[in-house]
Order: sequence, then C-alpha cells, then structure tokens
Amino acid sequence: MDRLKLLEHTDTVNELLARYGVKFGIYKNNTFHEQLFPFDAIPRVIEADEFDYLEKGLKQRVVALNLFLKDIYSKKQIVKDGVIPEDFIFASSGYMLECEGVTPVKDVYSHISGIDLVKGKDGTWYILEDNLRVPSGASYPMIARDLCRRSSPGTFADLKIEDNRNYAKLLRRTMDNVNVGGHSVILTPGRYNAAYFEHSYLAEQTGAHLVNGSELVVEDDKLYFITASGKKERVGVVYRRISDEYLDPMNFNPESLIGIPHIYDVFRKGNVALMNAPGNGVADDKGIYYFVPKMIKYYLGEDAILNNAPTYLPFYEEDYKYVLDNFDNLVLKDVAEAGGYGVVFGNKMTKQQKSDFLELLKNEPRRFIAQEVIDFQDLDIIDKGEQVPRKADLRAFVLMADEPLVWKSGLTRFSRNPDSFIVNSSQGGGFKDTWVLSR
Amino acid sequence: MKKLHFEYSMEINYAEMVSTCSYTIKCIPQKNNRQIPDNLAIGICPPSNYCLGFDGLHNQQVYGRNDEPHDRFVYKISGDVTVGMALYDEPENDDISMVFKHPHGLNIPGSRIKEYYNSLGVDDISDTYRKALNVMYRFYEDFEYRPNTTDIYTTAEEAFAQGYGVCQDFAHIFIALMHLANIPARYVTGLITGEGASHAWVEVLCEGRWYGLDPTNNKPVFDEHIKLGVGRDANDCMINRGIMRGGGVHTPIIKVSVEEIGKDINDD
Repeated sequence: MDRLKLLEHTDTVNELLARYGVKFGIYKNNTFHEQLFPFDAIPRVIEADEFDYLEKGLKQRVVALNLFLKDIYSKKQIVKDGVIPEDFIFASSGYMLECEGVTPVKDVYSHISGIDLVKGKDGTWYILEDNLRVPSGASYPMIARDLCRRSSPGTFADLKIEDNRNYAKLLRRTMDNVNVGGHSVILTPGRYNAAYFEHSYLAEQTGAHLVNGSELVVEDDKLYFITASGKKERVGVVYRRISDEYLDPMNFNPESLIGIPHIYDVFRKGNVALMNAPGNGVADDKGIYYFVPKMIKYYLGEDAILNNAPTYLPFYEEDYKYVLDNFDNLVLKDVAEAGGYGVVFGNKMTKQQKSDFLELLKNEPRRFIAQEVIDFQDLDIIDKGEQVPRKADLRAFVLMADEPLVWKSGLTRFSRNPDSFIVNSSQGGGFKDTWVLSR
Repeated sequence: MKKLHFEYSMEINYAEMVSTCSYTIKCIPQKNNRQIPDNLAIGICPPSNYCLGFDGLHNQQVYGRNDEPHDRFVYKISGDVTVGMALYDEPENDDISMVFKHPHGLNIPGSRIKEYYNSLGVDDISDTYRKALNVMYRFYEDFEYRPNTTDIYTTAEEAFAQGYGVCQDFAHIFIALMHLANIPARYVTGLITGEGASHAWVEVLCEGRWYGLDPTNNKPVFDEHIKLGVGRDANDCMINRGIMRGGGVHTPIIKVSVEEIGKDINDD
C-alpha cells in the first residue's frame, strides 16, 4: 500500500527539511543552538466526524476566550460577577495594565490560537493548554506535507485527506480582516529566534513582507514600513512574532532593542492592527485555564464541548486538600511557566523535593495548578527502523478572521523519550503531520 | 480654592550627537473633581511633531520621535490649575479600580512591612478614610524623609527596612500598608507648591471616591497639589520616558515651579 511507501521516504523528507532550514533554535547556557525538528512520517489520522466535533469545540473555546479578553480589558464583568477571582487576573504576569481600555480592530484579540489537546486511552479528547500569545508551529506540518506529496504522490491520490497547505490562505484572510489600510507585514525578532524558519516561510506563503523592528517606524500616530529605496509606506496589519514585553520599548520593556517605539500607541488609536493583540497572556495563563469552561458558560450560555483535563486549584481550600491527599497521582504546573518548564509529577519527586514543593505550595497556592495525569494515547513512530509507541499531543490552530476558522490539520508533537509525557519541541521532541480525512 | 501656575521643564545636554530619540511625557494635569486646568502650553525643542494620547490608566501623554541629529533636548509644559474644589476625585467610569487592590511591582510588601502593619492595630477602625488617615499619621512618625538615599528601583520593603527615603518611598510603603488594610490605593505623580521637584503621593478608594493623602507631608491633599498621573506604582506613571541612539554621558536637568497666582473670590 502507498501509505507504506511514504514511510520509506522518511529520510528523504528529513533531509529536505534540513536543506530548507526547518530548524528549531534554542538557547541553552547562553549559547544558541539550532537543532533539526525531527519529522516522523507516520501521520496522526483524524476521521472526518471526529474532527467535526473538535472543530466545534475549538471554535466555541476561542470565541469565549476572545470575549473574556475584551471583558477583562474593559468592564471586567466576569470578575465583578464572581466567576473568576480577582487574584487570577491582576496578579497574573500575563495581565497588562497598558492594554486597559484599548479595543483592537473588530474586537479580535486572539487572531491565531494554538490549542493543545491530547487524546485519552478511552478516546476522549482533552484540552491541555491554550496558547494565545504568539503560538508557533503551523509551518512544520505545512512544509512536511508538501515534501511528502512530492516524495510519495501516490499516497495522497488514494486517500481523501484535507489539504493543509491552505493555512497561508486562512492566515491571509485573518490579516486582511483586520488590516486598516496598508501593507501586511510579519515582524520577526530575527534569525536567532527559535521559530525564524516559520516567520520566513509564512511571509513567503502569505505574500506579506518579512520585517524586523528597524524596518518599521512610527510617525504621526501611523506605522510605516521603510522600503529598500528608503520610502515610507503605510502598514495596516502586523503579524508580530515578538512577545508583548519586547514589542514597544516606550510602552513595555524599555530595554527592548527589537521593538518599535510607540507602535502600541498607534494600535491604541486604531491605526494599525496587531496580531495577536498584546495582553493576551492573561487568558492563556495556566490558572485561567481552569476557568475556561466557566467562561464558555458565562459568555455563551453553553456547556463546553471539549473537556479540560481534570484540574484543581490549590487556591481553593477544597482543592488544596485534594492535592495533598492525592499528590502522587497528580502533575503540578507552575502557572507562570511555558514550553514544558515548571511541570513536575508528584510521583517522581524525592522525599526532599516533595517537602520543599509542599512548602512552596502552602505559601503560594495561586502559583500552581494540579492535574490528573491523563493516560493519553501513544502514537507509533519509527525509531532506528523500528515502530515504537510514544506520547504525542496535537496543537490545533484556530484563526479568528471574519468568522472563526479551524485549520484542518495541526502540529502533532511527540516525545522521543519512551518515559516522557513532555512533547515540547524545546525539550527535544519531534513532529508528525496531522491528516484530517475528508470523508 | 487656589489658582496655581506651574511650569515643568526638562533639559538634556548630550556629550555626543543623538541620531534619533523617542519620548513619552506624562505631565499634563487633567480635569477632575478636585482640579481644573487652563492655559496649557507644550513646547518641545528641537521641534518635532508630537502626538497626544492616553495610556491604559487614562493618564494623558505627549509622545513623539525626533529623527534630526541633535545634542540638546528640551521640553516645557506650563499651565494654570485651579485646585482644592474637593477632597476627592470621583471618576464616572471606574472599572479599573479593582486593579489597585493588588500589590504590584515596587509596592509588594515584605515581612517587615507586614509586621509593622500588624503592630499598628488599626483593623477595628470601621471607617475606611479614618483608618487610612490613622495609618498615615502613625507611619509619618516612623519613617524619615532623607533626600538622595534611594533610587527609582527601590522597593517599598527595601526603603522601609532602612527607615528613610523620599516621597516615592513614602508613597510605595503607604500603598503597601493600605493593601494590607484592604483599602485600594494608587500612586500619584504631581507637583506641589514650594518644591523644586515633582512630587508623589497616594490616593485611597473610599466609597467610590479617590481621596488624596500625602504621607511625605502627613496631610490630606487639598489645595497645594496638582495631580498629573496615577499608577499602581511609580513605573506606571513615570513623568519622563525616553530612548535614544547616541548621546553619550548626559544628565537630565528638571526644573519645576508652582506658584499661587490668585485666590478664588468665593474663598474667604
């Protein structure tokens, strides 16, 4: 069968990926390493019906998260109504006071959301994490699919698979929806960024200009792109791949050298769209995650279609007790950390680590969430010529254009270590293509 | 009521040429229950096209960029402000006020401030404003004003531990004490009669009204203060913020004057 043929081409595809510069940069001990993001040719396959269900749930979730962000930076009704305690908003590092009272173009805060899911052994999908700041990863399955189609065209002729190379179109539609008039640009911190390959690839695929901070300038409350010939041309939308703190030294971290002075003031006046809007971190905080099903009920009057992993907030007395009683069965996460850092498993701690942790938990209960360890499904990968099972998750991409759009694919990441549940690429994991069947 | 005339200026002489600079100035008094500004004038040299806007806390700001090489930057803001029409400010839309209940940045209390607060024994005072005043009177006795002993990065806890500081430190510690008393409190930048520098004080929220208290001078804010901006701590409402390319060694010279130019006829 042609599916097997694809597997024979794994090495070819990986070689091509390396040649195209599909790399992942990481900083370790203050030095910059680029490593390949290993591709495994066995795809994750999702049936059409199953994906329909995911799509509905993902749209619902992202719509609610956008309403939440609008509420938090204006009326704060959900806090006033006691649904979410104030502490979880104002003590969160993702909350940005500078964003108060600012309305992004068309009220869109999270234009691109990367929602991480896992599938339990019983077939139930669980949401693990929402990423609403600058989620990365869509380019990897896009280019992998392209290379796979080239190396094994027959595979794709036989199977009815949704073409995922339309991501650029969806992204373009999302940019055009909020463009206030002018160029579309993708703002990159530069080639030493972990996701630089993705920035350049998406620029090429969407037809947007790839720019760095020094090529943009603010004048009279408008944003301009400086062309190669020195001309200034108006910018209408910036898909920025720079985190909030570094985006504008005059409004955020004054030490940023990669940002654009006053770009946030232009945004504030509605004269440019920023994707994603600054301040989104308050909604993808691991502490806020607990409240997303309540948010869906509050803003939409609906029950959440997709489940959270069972989560406890030690902030609440009852949950704190539960965490103490069931410590060894839980995974504990520091709400301020991302990328697989700050995650500890209760049963993997030494006695000393455990007592240190419990002390920390007692003093700063708001800082942690605890979750049941979901025994999620393994996916097969090829490791040294052998087919072996490994833990894998799925990052689904939801784009908020004139309507919410779910990309019919996604980034499936797996752990190369047989004992690990942590699949993050910054922790050395690999990736797979995600095939959504069209019938 | 008093009518005050103020002038705020900043001058920087650079050792080397500056090729480009960006600035944000939060030095514009706004109209509220307690004060009415008039005759505002803004001058920036070398001239650049500045913009006006509001930050997240609705502080008014003047901002811009200067691309012409220069070795001197000066701005001056002046105006008249009628002050002392009320003891409080009562904003129409105060969705933001809950932000000021939570410790943040430089006002996060450590064990010394917490211990000190507990020693005050003011928890039984039911009236919020009286409680705030009481804490201010006591704190004034226990903290000393000493110029040039702290800097803009000094936290409330650090200043409290050494026992002395400047108006910024008085304000940060007092905000921390107010939070411990469950009273929303915010940092205020402004100008005051009889001083050659900008000043800082605190506003506390009592029944929907923000009352100004000046812990450095141990008194409520009434007709000597011109309010410029508010924040959770000093960083949210810094009067001057700028970045430049080039410049070398330089020290900004800030001059402030506030003079009374006439009493309202309704005042006795």
